[in-house]
Amino acid sequence: MSDLRELYQEVIFDHNRRPRNFGKLASANRTAEGFNALCGDRLTLYLEIADDKIQNVMFEGSGCAISTASASLLTETLKGKSLKEAEALFQSFHKMVTEDDAPVPEDMGKLTVLAGVREFPARVKCATLSWHTLQAALHGEHAPVSTE
Amino acid sequence: MPGLRIIGTARAKAGVFSFVVDGIHAHDLGTILDHEGVAIRAGHHCAMPLMERYGVAATARASFAAYNTCEEVDALFNGIERARKLFGRAN
Repeated sequence: MSDLRELYQEVIFDHNRRPRNFGKLASANRTAEGFNALCGDRLTLYLEIADDKIQNVMFEGSGCAISTASASLLTETLKGKSLKEAEALFQSFHKMVTEDDAPVPEDMGKLTVLAGVREFPARVKCATLSWHTLQAALHGEHAPVSTE
Repeated sequence: MPGLRIIGTARAKAGVFSFVVDGIHAHDLGTILDHEGVAIRAGHHCAMPLMERYGVAATARASFAAYNTCEEVDALFNGIERARKLFGRAN
């Protein structure tokens, strides 16, 4: 079986203990909610979008180490990105954590620490919750998102 | 075990016990115990109102039956200890 350390890398523990950009963003003009009812992970994502760019992004909520670290890394990565870049990142991220043989992209920075999730099928939904919530926020969907 | 809290402590209960460990979400615990060869359930257990009643996000749940051995109880204990070490919750 895969090594636990592949999944629980130090960066993940760090972001779980001290999530970045955690809290409510007062200037947000897009929000979306993600909720996995079976496991209890929930988060709200706040985005401030102007000039086709993510000017600021924050999140709040509670969940396991994987979902919290994933949301925290998402906010860190997306700040300052264009909407087009955000969409491309979603696609690459999704591919990275769901496809066994997909090569780990080199241009994803710290997000690659989550590549180990693909070896743990039961945990993929934890890593993707914040990303699907991002999609909902960008596409103006109002119903809470679930990845279960 | 420090940081471990058993949820549901009726005197006459079945050999099923739900618990939470400080600083470690039940799903992380489930994955780590699975790796140690111990199968537990983790999450809401289709009982979200009860989770709200106890004020917990989710619980881990181990089930014992007549055929379980003391070694298996030890394996569970050691697995939780492993998780606590991994999460920096034990020395």
